[in-house]
Amino acid sequence: MTFEEAQQELEQIVQRLESGEAPLDEALKLWERGEELYRFCKERLDTAEGKIEELASRAEAAKP
Amino acid sequence: MKVEAIEYGDRKVFSVGAFNRGVASWLQRLPTVWVEGEVTELRRSERWASVFFTLKDPQDGSCLGVSMARGQFDALRLELADGDRVHAYGRPELFEARGEFRLRVLSLERFGLGEHLAALERLKAKLAAEGLFAAERKRPLPLLPARIGLVTGNDAAAKRDVLTAVTTRFPPANVLVAETYVQGPRAAGAVVEALRALCREGVDVVVVARGGGSFEDLLPFSDERLVRAIADCPVPVVSAVGHEQDTPLCDLAADVRASTPSVAGRLVVPDLAQLLERLDRSRAGLERGTRRSLERERRRLDGTHERLARAPRLLLERRRAKLEQSAGRLRTLSPKATLERGYAIVRAGEQIVRSGGAVQPGEHVDVELAEGGFGARVEETR
Repeated sequence: MTFEEAQQELEQIVQRLESGEAPLDEALKLWERGEELYRFCKERLDTAEGKIEELASRAEAAKP
Repeated sequence: MKVEAIEYGDRKVFSVGAFNRGVASWLQRLPTVWVEGEVTELRRSERWASVFFTLKDPQDGSCLGVSMARGQFDALRLELADGDRVHAYGRPELFEARGEFRLRVLSLERFGLGEHLAALERLKAKLAAEGLFAAERKRPLPLLPARIGLVTGNDAAAKRDVLTAVTTRFPPANVLVAETYVQGPRAAGAVVEALRALCREGVDVVVVARGGGSFEDLLPFSDERLVRAIADCPVPVVSAVGHEQDTPLCDLAADVRASTPSVAGRLVVPDLAQLLERLDRSRAGLERGTRRSLERERRRLDGTHERLARAPRLLLERRRAKLEQSAGRLRTLSPKATLERGYAIVRAGEQIVRSGGAVQPGEHVDVELAEGGFGARVEETR
């Protein structure tokens, strides 16, 4: 799953929940799934380390 | 020129000189034509009657040796440098002493701005006809690229602008930079190679950035190989080449065109602060929505419960009402109501008297009224 897909699904879930049309069982399932998606997205942002690399030095480092 | 062959039995054999002369004289029958190419390996000496250089095909690298009378060449004052595009007018010629084939040039023109523009327009029309610039080919950029490829010159400005824009907007960005030639005859091939190398390493999007420059400086970015490589790139490409008013063909083939390297940098990453805010908003919505759902269900349950509790009392009331109704009807049917209207019941002994013949004169009867009654004696019967 990509970040975009997760974020999109999360926003759709929120919309469905806020419409108040979901029966309780579904609402609880949606909430669980939403939390999962939220954690996934948050993790993707938190674990990215942020680095600038030069291709030339990478190629150099890859040599045996 | 007559070419003599020596005969060995039935085999005709030519000397090298005779063979070369023969080929040379045959080549002279070919027409004089214009040839376009890039000048390389220019060799000129005061001691030589001719100048020599190689014409190179920028598309496929084919080479052609050229010679030109030094006097003629000098008179043109072209001041050619390596990589300059020229049109050469000449005919094929064999340098007999060495068996080398060359183009003997009679006239030479620098391929000027006008020609470049015309060639560019032709290439543009050709690639457009192939659909290379079509809007439906454009791919959307990934919202959150795991790694960004950057093709740029080692001139600091464009590279720095892209990197600054990227890391300001999205500090955790991951960028792989391929420094390459962005000017001169080797630029187009080098940029193509850099693109491929980045894709091999694995990137989600590529930015091709080059600062402004002269029309000639930006020509490699309209090179057919480079334009095709950008169109064929497996991941989306953002092109930020030159200034707003320059439109090198690579801009048309790219998925997104950015007016400057900074704009390109901002386009390829999301705004981290906004992204976090949006995520938190989603999470708040998640909680709010779920709570609302729960509360609504609880209210519904409470309502149902209340109705359940009310049910027996309701039943009782309904029964009581029905009973009242029956009592009312019973009352209308009782003789009491008839007596109230002024009627009387006459009894002889236990029997109710319904006709005159049922009693005898002088017989005692009881009369019942609405209120009380009295005893009476029958005077006469009818």
